[in-house]
Amino acid sequence: MSRQLKFNIFRYNPQDPASVPHADTFLLEETPSLTLFIALNKLREEQDPSLMFDFACRMAICGSCGMVINGRPGLACRTLTSDLPAEITLMPLPVFKLVGDLSVDTGTWFRATNSKIESWIHTDQEFDPQATEERMENALAESIFELERCIECGCCVASCGTANMREDFVGAFALNRMARFIMDPRDKRKDADYFEVVGTDQGIFGCMGLLACEDVCPRSIPLQDQLGLLRRKMGFIALKSIFKRKG
Amino acid sequence: MASIDTAIYVKPPSRASAYLDWLQMLTGAGLIAFMWSHMVLVASVNLGVNVMNFIAHFFEATYMAQVGGPMIGATMLLHFVLAARKIPFTSSEQGSIWRHAKMLHHQDTWMWVVQAVTAMIILIMGSIHMWTVLTDLPITAQKSALRIQGGFWMVFYLILLPMVELHVGIGFYRIGVKWGFVKRDGRKKFKRSENILTAIMIFIGLVTIIRFATLAV
Ligand code: HEM
Ligand code: SF4
Ligand code: SF4
Repeated sequence: MSRQLKFNIFRYNPQDPASVPHADTFLLEETPSLTLFIALNKLREEQDPSLMFDFACRMAICGSCGMVINGRPGLACRTLTSDLPAEITLMPLPVFKLVGDLSVDTGTWFRATNSKIESWIHTDQEFDPQATEERMENALAESIFELERCIECGCCVASCGTANMREDFVGAFALNRMARFIMDPRDKRKDADYFEVVGTDQGIFGCMGLLACEDVCPRSIPLQDQLGLLRRKMGFIALKSIFKRKG
Repeated sequence: MASIDTAIYVKPPSRASAYLDWLQMLTGAGLIAFMWSHMVLVASVNLGVNVMNFIAHFFEATYMAQVGGPMIGATMLLHFVLAARKIPFTSSEQGSIWRHAKMLHHQDTWMWVVQAVTAMIILIMGSIHMWTVLTDLPITAQKSALRIQGGFWMVFYLILLPMVELHVGIGFYRIGVKWGFVKRDGRKKFKRSENILTAIMIFIGLVTIIRFATLAV
């Protein structure tokens, strides 16, 4: 027997001066294997063409369909309505700039944050297109890849109490990103360089360990473990420098 | 020689955040160790009035209470100053964390809210409690019992006890996960043990309060 689903959806268009933030209710018959992505498209096609939301790949790779689903940030394309109660509340991800309804601009935030932490490999090695690629231990390559799987969906940032309170906090995304470069032997940055970027209250020492990031990440990136390692590493870099200056 | 403080315009790299975070954790851990010892000392009354009096006397004869007491007070104050960097004091910050916690249905986020709220209560009630006890040495089971049987302090401790135990328990858990002592696969179990520990501590505390309330003096 199929359920009648009731959607409560946040509506607001900041571009339209007449628009007031409110919630709209839609009803939809549940079909087998219905995802929120399909449901939203149906609602837009059949009930309200003005409904705004983002998606691109519909297979949890592009990271653009992040939204707050019954209170929890997650990917619409990966969420089956059968895993949810019949009443479903959808809200846009907080922290990011609202484009309209469920659509937010994560791109600007990620671009700014990536440049703040200089999210690229720093090397003075000349690139030689003729040379064979340098080899890396398989285990190391795999552990780097484990962190590299992040799709920049923004769920960790939206779920983070610290990021919601403090605009300048870089969030678990950036800290995980940094952990990835610290692991990478091709990045020639020194401990002090990494420390300067994330050894601050905007970085790892701003994190209060609420671990919502860990609990919502749709890619199950080991954020808890990486944050713990990073705090210890940055903490010890600071401690070591006390002795270095004296010695 | 005229010197210019260039840091006004260009902030040099600073390690302050790291040192302050270490201190916040270490003062927290120190206070946890103290609160556990404190519980053992006070709960010793359940083993007998003389046991508690003996222990209390030992700490006073060795001046550990007279010196240690104010030191704990200072540690608490330092811990407060450090942790206050994380507490939302502006109403806009308080509003965002409150709305956020309500939206998220997430236990660890609520635990942090509990930690911040209990912190403020402990700051006030803990200070009152320390002042009262340390300005009225020596500590004896009889005096504590009289205080509690007066009624006011009974209510006072019935509030302070769960506040402290919640803050201590959550703080213990928080240190474990924040500093990576507890990994992803150990988190659930660690949280469970922490909750059980908190419940046990509150239970022992309640038994102790009842013991004082019924002690013949
Ligand atoms: C009996 C006294 C106390 C004990 C045993 C205690 C213990 C702890 C511990 C172990 C932590 C975790 C430390 C960390 O995450 O780095 C903590 C955190 C915290 N404490 Fe206390 N504390 C006490 C009193 C207070 C007081 C009086 C205040 C302030 C009014 C306070 C405010 C906080 C806050 C806000 C945090 C969270 C910090 C964060 O999220 O980073 N605590 N406490
Ligand atoms: S770490 Fe996870 S939740 Fe955060 S942006 Fe990457 S994939 Fe999304
Ligand atoms: S552990 Fe908490 S405070 Fe730290 S980044 Fe994750 S959600 Fe934010």
